[in-house]
Amino acid sequence: MQRKKINLWPYLLISPALIIIFTVVFVPAVNAILMSFQNYDLRRPKSIGFIGLDNYIAVLHDQLFWQSLWKTVQWVVFGVGFQFVFGFGLALLLNKKFFGRGIARSVSLIPWVTPGVLIGLMWRWIYDGNYGVLNDILLKLGIISEKIPFLAQQATAFPAVIVTIIWQGIPFFALMLLAGLQGIPGELYDAADVDGANEFQKLFRITIPSLKNIIFITTMLRIIWVANSVDIIFNLTEGGPAYSTQTLSVFVFNKGNSLNLGYAATMSIMLTLVLLLVAILYLKNIFKNQEE
Amino acid sequence: MKKGKFKLSRVLSLYIPLAVYFIFLLFPFYWTFVTSIKPEKELYSSLVTYWPNNTTLASYKKLFLNFNFLKPMTNSLLVAAVTTIVSLTVSLLAAYAFSRYRFKGRKLLMTLFLTNNMFPTVLLLIPLYAIMRNLGILYTPMALVLSYTTFTIPFSIWLLNGYLNDLPRSLEEAAMIDGASRTQAFLKIIFPILLPCIVATGAYIFMTAWNEYTFAVMFTNEASRTIPVTLKNLIGQLGVEWGMLTAGGIITIIPVCIMFFFAQKRLTEGLTAGAVKG
Amino acid sequence: MKKFLVFFLVFTMFVILSAAGFAQSNPVTVTHWYWADNPTYSATMQEMAADFNATNGKNITVVAEEYPWDGGAYSETLFRVVMGGGGPDTSSAKLTSTPLFTANELLANLDEYIANWQDKDEIEDSLYNTMKDASGTGSIYLMPWNTQVLYVYYRPSMFKEAGISVPKTYNEFLEACKKLTRDTNGDGVTDVYGFGMRGAKGGHEPWGSFIWARGGNFKDFTSAEAVAGMQDFIDIFKNGYVPPTATMDGYQEIIANFKSGKTAMTVHHIGSSPGMIETFGDDVDAFPFPGDVGQWTSMGDTENVMLESCENKDAAFEWLSYLATGKGQETWCTVTGNVPVSKTVQQLPVFQNSKFMKVSIEAAPVAGIYPILDTTTEWISTIWPNTIAAALLGQITATDAMKQLQTGLYGK
Repeated sequence: MQRKKINLWPYLLISPALIIIFTVVFVPAVNAILMSFQNYDLRRPKSIGFIGLDNYIAVLHDQLFWQSLWKTVQWVVFGVGFQFVFGFGLALLLNKKFFGRGIARSVSLIPWVTPGVLIGLMWRWIYDGNYGVLNDILLKLGIISEKIPFLAQQATAFPAVIVTIIWQGIPFFALMLLAGLQGIPGELYDAADVDGANEFQKLFRITIPSLKNIIFITTMLRIIWVANSVDIIFNLTEGGPAYSTQTLSVFVFNKGNSLNLGYAATMSIMLTLVLLLVAILYLKNIFKNQEE
Repeated sequence: MKKGKFKLSRVLSLYIPLAVYFIFLLFPFYWTFVTSIKPEKELYSSLVTYWPNNTTLASYKKLFLNFNFLKPMTNSLLVAAVTTIVSLTVSLLAAYAFSRYRFKGRKLLMTLFLTNNMFPTVLLLIPLYAIMRNLGILYTPMALVLSYTTFTIPFSIWLLNGYLNDLPRSLEEAAMIDGASRTQAFLKIIFPILLPCIVATGAYIFMTAWNEYTFAVMFTNEASRTIPVTLKNLIGQLGVEWGMLTAGGIITIIPVCIMFFFAQKRLTEGLTAGAVKG
Repeated sequence: MKKFLVFFLVFTMFVILSAAGFAQSNPVTVTHWYWADNPTYSATMQEMAADFNATNGKNITVVAEEYPWDGGAYSETLFRVVMGGGGPDTSSAKLTSTPLFTANELLANLDEYIANWQDKDEIEDSLYNTMKDASGTGSIYLMPWNTQVLYVYYRPSMFKEAGISVPKTYNEFLEACKKLTRDTNGDGVTDVYGFGMRGAKGGHEPWGSFIWARGGNFKDFTSAEAVAGMQDFIDIFKNGYVPPTATMDGYQEIIANFKSGKTAMTVHHIGSSPGMIETFGDDVDAFPFPGDVGQWTSMGDTENVMLESCENKDAAFEWLSYLATGKGQETWCTVTGNVPVSKTVQQLPVFQNSKFMKVSIEAAPVAGIYPILDTTTEWISTIWPNTIAAALLGQITATDAMKQLQTGLYGK
């Protein structure tokens, strides 16, 4: 609906959100951006000063930065990818009628409800190389012949951490997609049944297209969230062994904790730019869909 | 309609996959629970037992008798509830505006709301602490509510926007042609249909606030402490209070699941079947 | 008129008396932050605060607030809060975090307080010097509280089975690692490892002993002697004398492995001894980490600091001295088993009669700390664990690892 005069309504509706974000985030965020152009190391406060692009140049030359960036890509692709696929599957199952569905739905939320510190501890204990239950199960099933120290060697540490984030994220997608499934009119499926469509056809021709918007948005949000997430990795391995589980956000976290804020700020700005690029691809699609 | 008949296809396509999912999702908790009731010797033996040979409820006793767990629970509940209400209200208004109106700066503002979440929090901690202090809300639940809304609102706006866009405009337009104002159309038509999505988004906000640690450790003192910080206290230099930690964890999970059990009733299908006439 | 005069007199007297009373018993609150390794210690701290409040006679009230240790993030939380304008009056602290605070001028200078302190001589001079070194200035910014000296726990029964005696030299120690690694049930899989190596954060403390034993030191990690010590460390991992999980084993894991009988020796300090005695009774003992060309063991520490932002520094110092040499010292060290800094408290029977305290004191002359620079925290938290893991797993050589460690601590 085109309106010729300027409608104040939308601005009014958005203003509460804007005000909150502006006061509490905007100023510190600008502060952080400024820090990236300074030699802002709180361990040496007397030498804080403007150094232009030196931080950026240093970051681009830092091999650990590129390694962490690549780790982040793998982390997001496998983490979010599998979360989505399995979460979608669960949503479809929870949408069907069966006895005890309410309980099933509440219970499936549990991994997501759990505090990060507990998740880290639980999974560390499961992966434990000496007393862990995963080793025990694999040994008993005859899949391995001796215990694997999952979190202690590079080859297995990263996959192990990814499995944990998949485990945590499945409920998120299950919940969000389940809500979206409620909005699909039942008649579409009835009509398809009349046409003799099977389950797969119904899934790909009706369900997924109807959820297009919400799929785009949840995956985009989840990508941003997972790319920035620190607590699962930190509680499991702190980024080790030998930096094999250090994604860029964990790297920033470690640097920020050692209070070399200028360097940390620079890296996080670069991460933000990368995420922005990814987001723009999504946004193009989403805005296009909305115009239809 | 299946009248209680035991169909093999249903077992294969529904019950078995569900079982696999739930084993995967819940086994860690079963294991943690078992761990918390095992005596230490059994915990560290070479033989892994799937149900303890000897059980000990010592940690649970310690948790309740020596540890005031009730206070952090109520604090967490308060913070999470208020954050959810504030975020939902504010985000719903904004999401509706983004979805139903076209106006100057719309795309820019939407992108702005997205980028603010890309910034890692560790950089914002010191200035935020100073802001909270200057606003005088430090060590009150409001400090946490304010910090949490800054990242729950953008996400919620996007989520609700997405759900709203999947609902055709024809719904309100039909009502408005019949003489209802936009507000009435919203309340009577859109809101009920949107309820499952609001529930889902609200759950998401609640969980985020419930589990958040980084801001909580800085902005609370003992009186206003929330659960994640209290649990962290159980991990000292000299190791983990396994039993108490898992006991505490399990106790925090159960009420939330119960709450969600009642809330998920809103996620019933068929709300829209027949409601859309065009 | 008379009534008015009476009233006026009474009123004046009231004013004078309350002013006098007010000046005398001006109530003062001191906020103290601390971390506790378990709920028992936390309760003890609260009891100490209550005891101090009841007995100090100067109307000082201490409010003790617990914050999570969180693997050391406690110091960062404290830092951020103080930088943000808030924070407590006093706090527990670790030496390694000092440069951060002193660089930003956040701690109160305690020189004058200590100079005028009646218990000044209760504490060894060497400790005061360590405090001064930590701050990088000639002044004292930390009040000593308690120390822990690292030693090697061992299982006498396993030593008997393997037919060896307590190692007196470094080479004997390395031999012991080998001899104690056994397959006890003949299934071809190692069941007992000689040494419980700590490769995760915090492992730099036992590791240092290897470096010094070969004649290296912390000023130059790249010297041939230091590299030799590092090679020894890598070798016992490669040869399977330590559990393969060593690269990620932290405190929790090495203690669990020792308690379950998976390892025959492991390095820690007196803080864990009560648990050891509970598990093993008499079948656990300790010896100081032996040396060869040199000898070194790590001195863990906990101190207390006074923040510069504290408004009642006199009162705060009263509290700090209660903790250091007053009743607080005795209570805390008895409950936690840590080595007291107060000479008088050290002489108490409960400390003199503990075999682990004896070993701690025996090892004390060679106990030291890592250089405390502003890069130390990051070096300990991130650089050391990851570099060591890479070396153990064969990704980099000992020489390269030492180069990385040198650069990480001292810069290019």
